[in-house]
Amino acid sequence: MLLALLELKAARGRFLLMGSVVVLVAALVGIVSGFTTGLGDDTVSALRRLPATHIAFAAGSDSDQFARGLIDDRTASGWSGEDHTEATPLGVSLTRGTTGRGVEVDLAAFGVDPGAFAAPATDTGTPLDGAAPNGVVVSRQLVNEGVRVGDTLTVDRLGITLDVVGTTGRSSYGHVPVAYVTTDTWRRIRFTVPGAKDLPADLPAQYSAMALRLPADTGTVELAAADHRHGTTTVPLEEAFAAAPGYDGERLTMTSIQTFLFLIAPLVVGAFFAVWTVQRTPELALLRAMGASRRRLLGHTLAQAAVVVVTGTAVGAALASAVGLLVGEQVPFSLPASTLATTMAAVALVGLAGSALTLRRVTTVDPMTMLGAAR
Amino acid sequence: MSLHLHDVTVTLGRGDSRTTALSGLDATFSPGALTALVGPSGSGKSTLLAVAGALLRPDEGRVLLNGTDLAALTDRERARARRERIGYVFQSGNLLTGLTAEEQLLAAASLTGRRPRTLRARIRELLTEVGLEHRLAHRPDQLSGGERQRIALARALLLEPELLLVDEPTAAVDRTRAHDLTALIARATHDRACVTVVATHDPVVTAAADTTVDMQTHPTPTPA
Repeated sequence: MLLALLELKAARGRFLLMGSVVVLVAALVGIVSGFTTGLGDDTVSALRRLPATHIAFAAGSDSDQFARGLIDDRTASGWSGEDHTEATPLGVSLTRGTTGRGVEVDLAAFGVDPGAFAAPATDTGTPLDGAAPNGVVVSRQLVNEGVRVGDTLTVDRLGITLDVVGTTGRSSYGHVPVAYVTTDTWRRIRFTVPGAKDLPADLPAQYSAMALRLPADTGTVELAAADHRHGTTTVPLEEAFAAAPGYDGERLTMTSIQTFLFLIAPLVVGAFFAVWTVQRTPELALLRAMGASRRRLLGHTLAQAAVVVVTGTAVGAALASAVGLLVGEQVPFSLPASTLATTMAAVALVGLAGSALTLRRVTTVDPMTMLGAAR
Repeated sequence: MSLHLHDVTVTLGRGDSRTTALSGLDATFSPGALTALVGPSGSGKSTLLAVAGALLRPDEGRVLLNGTDLAALTDRERARARRERIGYVFQSGNLLTGLTAEEQLLAAASLTGRRPRTLRARIRELLTEVGLEHRLAHRPDQLSGGERQRIALARALLLEPELLLVDEPTAAVDRTRAHDLTALIARATHDRACVTVVATHDPVVTAAADTTVDMQTHPTPTPA
């Protein structure tokens, strides 16, 4: 180890340069990871926080099901009547509104039955109440935009006026902050014709989907049978994220970037150590001639790679975290410690794997090249 | 302490380029004596150093260093012998780039697993012995060719080797430095009573040697 450290000190310029590249790659991976998680949260956090196990959509729609599919009252009743199953209707619509104080906001109206498991807990104010059908519970992002408990919120072009009764934590859908309303209010938002003078007297008893809590031992056959009975397609909650607008595309884009970074990292580190090893082949031959074992040279090279890769990754992780702190809530960025740790461990591993590409050359160096006979 | 080579044969290369570098060589090198290996290029001087230094295993024959047959050792055992029993001074490329004179010796010590702290005083003593006590913190690119060779000699002597092998030590130094360096090698040999073999073309070294082996005519040590 002493020899490895002495060499690191002696060639500190080169190792600093290499370390800087590892720092940048690690920081980039961390930042991309933060955006991947943040964008994902911004798209589906309203779904992720639903205390449901499955979502049942109307059969026949394969994408954007929350917007395209509608479940009727008979289906909702059917699911509610299933044994050992909790079911509650869910309405999802993207719209806009303006508060009485003139604050204009985009919002995702989530229709839930007051008191049902899908109804949000409130941080301030009161929860949704069936007796006050115009109530709305707004998410923290809407609070950040200036919506307050006690405000009135008028849904643009529909003229539906809501009373802000409570606030809840971060919740968004398709990058739009969520406002929770009763299913009755949601149906008014969903089925009212924009610009109509009067609200329709008889709104369709339909919803976007059903939120379900199924027993853990529910089998696929059982589920398929229930779907067949009710004319639905049921998917686990996590699979339902794909029904949110843009979720799959975003994931694919960000994952592709991460994948490329994970491919680049070992190549960059490997290329550096390959050049480094070629440059010091005469010195490796000298060390072998002086009696250094192959094992020692291997350990010596790996120790140098570990110092560069691990230190570079740690600094990169700190840099990515700093970027997260700097951007705050201005952009969808989320980098929990566990995600950061996992991502950085992966960067360090692929970096070390890159350096391992040079190990064969290290162990096969010929000490005879030190003597005139071989020159 | 002594070094005996018995009926040593070494062939180098493969196929058509295969050549016999040493053929049935018998030689004995005595402790406390500086032996100069002389002869034209290709006569086998470096090959003899490689075989004696456990860098190369002969095709046939025995290489006995104080009774241990180096030719019969495994790769790992030969590496250990090089580390602990043999000191080398090569013609060039002796030093590790970027390391100071003191660190060159620390690096060598670290190969043996010894704690560097326990050897610091010894390292300074050796660098003083070779006249470089004022160059402890200098790197190879800040030293002359002769100084680099003297550091290599100090490093080779660090663990009190039984066998000191030196390859063309004066090839890159002027006459005065060649005399100084040769005197240092001779003194180290006599003081430590180690077996020293020097491959050389330089009459300065030959003149200072206790015995000479002419690889071309008579591969047996003869008094100088």
